[in-house]
Amino acid sequence: MNVRVMTAAARNAAFAAEKSAPAHIAARGVAVDFTVEGRRQRVLNEINLAVPKGSFVSLIGPSGCGKSTLLKVMAGLVAPTEGEMTVAGMTPQQAVKARLIGLVFQEATLLPWKNALENAAFLLMTADDSIKKSDAFDRAAAMLRLVGLEDADKKRPNQLSGGMRQRVAIARALALDPEVLLMDEPFGALDAITREEMSDCLLDIWERTHKTIVLVTHSIDEAVFLSREVHVMGTGPARIIETLPITLPHPRTEDSYSAPAFAAAEARLRSLLIESHKRGRR
Amino acid sequence: MTDATLDGSGGVASRGAVGKGLQGLIPALLLALGLVVFWEVVIRLFSVPTFVLPAPTAIFASLVVHWKPLLVAAKATALEVLFGFVLSAVVGIAVALVIVRFERFGRALYPLIVLFQNVPKVALAPIFILWFGYDLAPKILLIVVIAFFPVAIDMLAGLQSVEPSFISLMRSVGASQGKIMMRVRIPHSLPHLMAGLKVAITFSVIGAIVGEFAGANQGLGYVIQFASTQLDTPLIFAALIVVSVLGLAFYYIIEFAEHVLVPWAPKFDPIHSAG
Repeated sequence: MNVRVMTAAARNAAFAAEKSAPAHIAARGVAVDFTVEGRRQRVLNEINLAVPKGSFVSLIGPSGCGKSTLLKVMAGLVAPTEGEMTVAGMTPQQAVKARLIGLVFQEATLLPWKNALENAAFLLMTADDSIKKSDAFDRAAAMLRLVGLEDADKKRPNQLSGGMRQRVAIARALALDPEVLLMDEPFGALDAITREEMSDCLLDIWERTHKTIVLVTHSIDEAVFLSREVHVMGTGPARIIETLPITLPHPRTEDSYSAPAFAAAEARLRSLLIESHKRGRR
Repeated sequence: MTDATLDGSGGVASRGAVGKGLQGLIPALLLALGLVVFWEVVIRLFSVPTFVLPAPTAIFASLVVHWKPLLVAAKATALEVLFGFVLSAVVGIAVALVIVRFERFGRALYPLIVLFQNVPKVALAPIFILWFGYDLAPKILLIVVIAFFPVAIDMLAGLQSVEPSFISLMRSVGASQGKIMMRVRIPHSLPHLMAGLKVAITFSVIGAIVGEFAGANQGLGYVIQFASTQLDTPLIFAALIVVSVLGLAFYYIIEFAEHVLVPWAPKFDPIHSAG
């Protein structure tokens, strides 16, 4: 516990310095058009965003607000129609080539014919042809330990629970040793208690690995508990309507849920989301 | 953490599963036995002439008397089925891979294949005989045109049904289309492929028999046709039994291959498929 307090204190100091540092992920006037059944549709509009290195940022908003699309732009999976996205000063495609990006989705998307260890090593071995199998497995095993799955490495996905599968997916992303971890509703399919467990796990990983994490979520609690900063997105046209810094002190534990700062941030986020939902219906 | 141990017993219980499978066959065997007895009784009770419908005992007697020529014929048919099936699998897999890999060509090819699928394949048998004579070749060709389609369609469905997030993951580490194909799409399609192969093996047996009907000097189809010109109905039925056993054997070979090659495939239970 003491160690964790110290690292948290160190991190708080580091964040003060970060404010002046250039953003690790930066969007300048990013817009995305999709062509659906021959009609061009704007799914993202005028996105300006700066994520400091080592920060934990959440994107929250109603369905169809383009938060997943924004994450895909960061991951280099969708090219912006207008504007510019940079990750570590590069285009997302270059960042992909440099193996700076790790992805986690709502579905764990594990290969059913491989066990947990092989799944955790799979993307690393795909990304790096020259890596030795034993090295990749060592690294995957270390990541499985980090997510608390050291005893399940020989199990197939169908022998794992939903939460365990998602842990393997996180280990698989971490095995790449990316600078940026992009997560699209990673706990969306899990039950409430497992979600909180996974939130703790993720916070722990963040404190140990110093990754820059961008999390897309529907859950206000999750966004407040995990993030340094929450970007609230709205529909019609999809954009960021407000950026809310979360002042909840670190280290965050179960007690954080009952802290006044938590309640305040939660209430503010809720009112923003309700407003955004209402505008979306109009 | 609710569904952790649902499928956890697969590997351990496989020997018990065989015993359980045999035990599961008992009701089917009892039903079959009952039907055969009923058949025998009806034939004897109403003195049905043998050339119309032989009694099970007469069929069995014919099977015993003609076992040697039936065995030779079964060998010939089995060879046709084997070659035809393997070639169907190769063609079907190749067609699916080409359609997925070369998308534009696939768009042109796919409707033609579906169109060709609507040609009554049986009607092609005389043409193949005309072109290739009475040997193995026309039968194999007929089997291929009948049996490649389920292989191609199922393989195609398997290749296309990979979750999009998987493709995204692969792309997020800069994997090429070829790598995505080799490491994700093809392995993912294997359970679908096995389903297609099971359909193809039964089609292959049908194809072989039809091919032999159209023109042959050996094989079980030839025996059936020869016996029918002699009004030797018990022999027809005896040959039918051999055909069925042959088909069943081939089917279970594929099923066994599936069990070994794709142990992660979802098990298919025809009775409780919805549960």
